[in-house]
Amino acid sequence: MSNNFKAEAEKTIIVERLVKNFELIEKKDGILNSFLSIVAPKKKSITALKDISFTIDQGELIGFIGPNGAGKTTTLKILSGLLYPTSGFTQVLGFTPWDRKPEFLKEISLVMGQKNQLWWDLPAIETLKLNQAIYELSDSVFRRNLNELTDLLEVGKLLNTQVRQLSLGQRMRLELIASLLHSPKVLFLDEPTLGLDVVAQQKVRDFIFDYNRRNKATIILTSHNMDDLIDLAKRVIVIDKGEILFDGNLQKLVEEFAKEKVIKLYFSKNTDIKKLEEIGKIKRINLPQVILAVPREVAAIAASEILQNFPVADLTVEEEPIEDVIRRVFKGEITRKEKRLLKPKASDE
Amino acid sequence: MWRVRNMFQIFLVFFLWDTIFANSQRIVFGYDRQKMLTYIFGLIIVRALVLSSKANEVGGDISRGDIINLLLKPISYVKYWLTRDLSSKGINLIFAVFETILLYFILRPDFFLQGNILLLLSFATSIVLAILIYFLLLFTIGLVPFWVPESAWGISFLMLVVVEFLSGALFPLDILPVSVQSIINFTPFPYLLFFPLQIYLGKVGTLIMLRGIGVSFLWLGVLWLLMRSVWFKGLKSYQAYGR
Amino acid sequence: MEDRKEVQNLKLRIKYFGFSLVIGTFRAVSKFSFKFENIKELVSRCYYYFKIWLLMSKNSFIVMLEQKKLFFLFLLGKVLRFGFFILFLVFLVKGTENLAGYNSNQVIFFFLTFNLVDIVSQFLFREVYRFRPLLVSGDFDLVMTKPMNALFRVLMGGADVIDFITIPPLLIVLAIVGGGLNPNFFQIFSYLIFIINSLMIAAAFHILVLAFGIITLEIDHVIWIYRDLTNLGRFPVDIYRQPIQGILTYLIPVGIMMTFPVKAMLGLISSWGILFSFSLGILMVILSIKLWNRALKSYTSASS
Repeated sequence: MSNNFKAEAEKTIIVERLVKNFELIEKKDGILNSFLSIVAPKKKSITALKDISFTIDQGELIGFIGPNGAGKTTTLKILSGLLYPTSGFTQVLGFTPWDRKPEFLKEISLVMGQKNQLWWDLPAIETLKLNQAIYELSDSVFRRNLNELTDLLEVGKLLNTQVRQLSLGQRMRLELIASLLHSPKVLFLDEPTLGLDVVAQQKVRDFIFDYNRRNKATIILTSHNMDDLIDLAKRVIVIDKGEILFDGNLQKLVEEFAKEKVIKLYFSKNTDIKKLEEIGKIKRINLPQVILAVPREVAAIAASEILQNFPVADLTVEEEPIEDVIRRVFKGEITRKEKRLLKPKASDE
Repeated sequence: MWRVRNMFQIFLVFFLWDTIFANSQRIVFGYDRQKMLTYIFGLIIVRALVLSSKANEVGGDISRGDIINLLLKPISYVKYWLTRDLSSKGINLIFAVFETILLYFILRPDFFLQGNILLLLSFATSIVLAILIYFLLLFTIGLVPFWVPESAWGISFLMLVVVEFLSGALFPLDILPVSVQSIINFTPFPYLLFFPLQIYLGKVGTLIMLRGIGVSFLWLGVLWLLMRSVWFKGLKSYQAYGR
Repeated sequence: MEDRKEVQNLKLRIKYFGFSLVIGTFRAVSKFSFKFENIKELVSRCYYYFKIWLLMSKNSFIVMLEQKKLFFLFLLGKVLRFGFFILFLVFLVKGTENLAGYNSNQVIFFFLTFNLVDIVSQFLFREVYRFRPLLVSGDFDLVMTKPMNALFRVLMGGADVIDFITIPPLLIVLAIVGGGLNPNFFQIFSYLIFIINSLMIAAAFHILVLAFGIITLEIDHVIWIYRDLTNLGRFPVDIYRQPIQGILTYLIPVGIMMTFPVKAMLGLISSWGILFSFSLGILMVILSIKLWNRALKSYTSASS
């Protein structure tokens, strides 16, 4: 009881000054070398996370974004108890994750897009029944949760089909059921829509959104899918090279990271468009409309210059589209240099 | 790696007979200590020549459908596997010689060296026959997945078990009662290991030796015909169902 | 004369080593002090894992049913191999009168006992053979996030169904042949206890293989080496020359696993040997679990 109370009173997830170094043993080809690497391993330390801190409240749905190898999956693995950190403080639901206490593991779930828990040669229902025993769910709870989840994900008919015969999208939805049968309070989703077709993606997305609202579950999501983030996550944490570059509202992310503004203009009569190139980057020409990208700081000057020198019927200045910003995040183009330009840390409270 | 595993097996067999012949004057089943240990050591070499094979992968090749790639190539499927088979034997032979030397220095048995050129020639002939018989056996068995694709694994396991015992790989077959032996002699298996080693040890008379070689030839012919007919039937059913 | 002295000396040393082993084991065991309320908890945990084991075994049974033909071929192969070997033993001992001082019934009983330990441990620890794909695909991560002991899952998750069929007849044959050796009650009892000890050692070996697998990703070869080593116990280890016999008995303990149960039943093992064997069994289990935990820690601090 007291433990529960403690967990609710505090934040659901607390991460403070988390550092994770991986020790890699350098391997070389050849029998002699592989023998040497056993006797006297040459160790190489790689820093995956340097000094990460954040907190998450109950019921939040958070998107983790960043380029490949930024440390997203590492963070999720530490939070779900799969990895020991090198240093730092981590608490999830009042537990230290890597103790992997059964009481803790019963409250969380980790879903990884490319990893399976369903038995390949069996109908999914058999794995689900196994999970019922593992999580010690009573028959009534099992039935209720199963019915609810199968309805939401529209897979009732697939439960008795051999898993190997299912499509990837169907399998992923059943994997989700297997991971959520015990109604975890905290859910870690690592690329849940990876490899799915558009329709299946949408189904999984709708479900995650719904699940978050219904169960007040805390969800952390990593994804390379722009739509996942825009549809689902209100708050995003941008992480690159093991550091948090941004933590806050998705809209704010655009405001703070957009390097450019977009100027849309309609010409009233034909003119020499080439001259526009001196002012900004032409993104699209569809006369009489032209779309132009200009550096953020000079957007106002650029606009007035255009108004003075060109026959313009209409002109608007807009923010860079959210997709473009996120795309740059994925590419790792958002750098620490930009971080310094920002306020120290964006916070929700 | 399976060479190391092979060594364990030889260890077991060696010590088994070593114990039985603890008294070096003893003669059991018509073997004295020297000949029995020579049989065991001869097994290493003959096994490497005869029983090491690549053709046991034919079944898997067919059940996975990889055979398609090879059927498209302008080389006969049988020749392809025979070539792979022989090259693998070459490698295994080198290892086997190395092992024999190693084991010789560990265990220090006394060897029986056959000096009769004629017997050595017959020994070589019987080995060649054994290699071909074993290849045909494995290849034919490997064709079963044409009809039952999932059986590839099981059937080669079954084959291995039978060969292990009836070829004399674990023990010389003449410890069995004569009646059992004469039945086994009708199968192709004893001509794989046991018979060649008997020739080397000079334990068979000329007449029986010639009869044995004759039977080997007979089996070779039978298996060849069998393999061809199964191959063409299998190919037909394969094309018919497009598995 | 010199030789005998040296042997004497060596025996003393071995005894001393054994003695310290026994002491060490008792120390280790005494650390696990059980309180009364723990026992209730223990029973309920056991029931929990037993239920899961049943479910997983049922699952592997259903999988098996999918491949009836393959299943049949394997069963046939196993039975055939077993039959051939028995036949070989019968004729071998018939021709040689005895093997390392054992008569033909005894030699067959040794072989049957070897099979019992071998098959039962395969039956229980079958899942070890499937550990590598689990590791390589990363699906092991999902095993670790379950509120269930990961070692239990990868060691005992799913019994081998073939052995459901082979174990009962084997037990019957064991009872018949064993009965022919006229053991008294105490000898039967010590046989059974020694079999349990053998299974403990087998479990320890399998856990070692798993731990080694986590560190090196190498499982298949290691498990085969283990099987080849234990295969050396198809005959009583008495057939091996020293020092190989000593190594096989005490160091790799194939002798303790495969030969000692029968020797105990024949009344050929001193109380000292019993004590030593069990200490070794318990110690190996404890050590292997420790190693597993360490491997798990290295898994969780490496990988990505």
